Amino acid sequence: MAPAESAAERTVDRVVMRDIRKRYGMVDALRGVTLRVGPGEVIGLVGDNAAGKSTLMKVLAGAVVPDSGEIVFDGQTVSFATPRDARELGIEMVYQDLALCDDIDVAGNLFLGREPRKAGGLLLDVARMHRDARRHLDALNIRIPLTDIPVGGLSGGQRQAVAIARAVTFGPKLLILDEPTAALAVAEVETVLELIKTVSAQGVSVILITHRLQDLFRVCDRLCVMYEGTLRADLDARATSLERLVSEIVAHDQIDSGKNDAGEAGGRKEHDTTEGARR
Amino acid sequence: MTTSEPTTTGGRAGAGKPPVVSERVVTTRSARANAHIGKHAQTIAIGVVLVLLLIFFAFSADRFATTGNLLNLLRQISPTLIVAIAMTFVISTSGIDLSVGSTVALSGSLLAIVLQHGWDPTLALVAILALGALIGFVNGWFSSYQNIPPFIVTLAMLSIMRGTALRATEGYSTPIDGDLWIVQLGQGRVAGIPVPVILAVVIAAVGWITLTRTPFGRYVIGLGSNGESLRRTGVNTRKVGLAVYVLTGLAAALAGVLIATRLSSGSSNAGTGFELEVITAVVLGGTSLFGGRGSMLGTILGALTLGVIANGLVLLHVSPFYVQIVQGAILLLAIFANSKVWARFGAVRK
Repeated sequence: MAPAESAAERTVDRVVMRDIRKRYGMVDALRGVTLRVGPGEVIGLVGDNAAGKSTLMKVLAGAVVPDSGEIVFDGQTVSFATPRDARELGIEMVYQDLALCDDIDVAGNLFLGREPRKAGGLLLDVARMHRDARRHLDALNIRIPLTDIPVGGLSGGQRQAVAIARAVTFGPKLLILDEPTAALAVAEVETVLELIKTVSAQGVSVILITHRLQDLFRVCDRLCVMYEGTLRADLDARATSLERLVSEIVAHDQIDSGKNDAGEAGGRKEHDTTEGARR
Repeated sequence: MTTSEPTTTGGRAGAGKPPVVSERVVTTRSARANAHIGKHAQTIAIGVVLVLLLIFFAFSADRFATTGNLLNLLRQISPTLIVAIAMTFVISTSGIDLSVGSTVALSGSLLAIVLQHGWDPTLALVAILALGALIGFVNGWFSSYQNIPPFIVTLAMLSIMRGTALRATEGYSTPIDGDLWIVQLGQGRVAGIPVPVILAVVIAAVGWITLTRTPFGRYVIGLGSNGESLRRTGVNTRKVGLAVYVLTGLAAALAGVLIATRLSSGSSNAGTGFELEVITAVVLGGTSLFGGRGSMLGTILGALTLGVIANGLVLLHVSPFYVQIVQGAILLLAIFANSKVWARFGAVRK
């Protein structure tokens, strides 16, 4: 919690998540997480599997309602019951699974759900859709030659770019990217990283969840490390080495500490008991 | 930083240029062409098949290529086409409606019965169409709002509607008074063109525009392609999923009215195997059973192809029992082609 306190001096935060807690039955997914993001700032959110990154971001995107905790967005305390609430405030999340419709063309995907219309709202304004799509893609430096081919025919990087571009066309203030580069070829990763830079240069705050640590140093201002449902470290990306980051993620000092060992042993013992009971 | 190697397909910017790294794998010309051909290949193919069949029957069956026969053929295929237009929407959402044949029987039977009870024909027509929409609503509610596989829902409705039709008519055909205006729906002609054909053409045009040019059509494709993605954009996907079944219910009721008025009798045995014919027409036209791809033009060509085969075989004095065998075989072949052959064109990956 210490890094969060030190950042409290900053003037206006885009979003502050304070002491967020979420429990799923016996599992403490989030154990009091505090996270702040400034305007135009790119945050790298890292941590091992099950560290709570995705849950935390789902809370921020309105997909998960936390048990307790406070979210302050642009200085106002907010609470989200649905993703729609979060979206209305300008929080967009691009999910890992590339939420695109493969059979619909690029322009159609960009404007899915809010297509430009004509003839009193009865018909799609297809021409305007393609024109606007071209403009949006150009503004984001995304090079997709045709906007009338189905996105299923695009490369992974192009598809990811379209997914991000769609989120950006909503005019978000905060963009959450969940593993945007996970399944991409090296050259395509560059595309997405450049796109992140372009978007943040336009004043949009970005939270990037990724396992590709080398990407983080390319685009991030700060690196937030989560460990077992807590925010373990809040690091300046420019002054942090990869080694330091890795050791924070795997939580070296905690593993060495006796307390954590006891916890591990206890967990193992519990597991054994249940195994025995099953037999 | 990590890469400066040019990619295999992308024309990467030279070293002298400012580092616009967003340059990427450019969609190649062939990928472009594939995407477009893949979209239309099946429609083109079925069009070619139709033309070949027309030529074949024109030379082998004496009376095939006469205006009278062709108009008759169109009238025969009109109910199928009307329901196939609606079915294209359902199948594009990756749904299916097996209950249309039973709905045809029920709506035709009930129309004849209520007319016999002295209902005003206009009122009867409206009531029958409303009933069709209601049947579709029930199908859609179970499938879309309760997430029960539409295959099972509409199979159950198939049985319920057929049973209701049999119960209502006690298995007998009910005659329809030929003096009523409603009979003109099935038997009338405007400028020599049968009324069902005119209706089918109008409905096909509206269906085409709806699928390709309206937000609803876009959502239908989106629902079949990636429903979760569509839902996340804020579209009420359940409503879209329900609406398509209302369309097939409505279309099936209209088809039932057309068939009953054409024959001047409502029969609970009408529309047996009708759902197979309709689904074959849709699949033959290139609409994917897995959703996401629907071609209205393909459906129209598919329905015409089925009509030409049925009509041509009869004119060649082939036993009408073979028509069913041929239809089933065509369905199987079309699905095979859909998932195996056309997949090579790249646009199909499911």
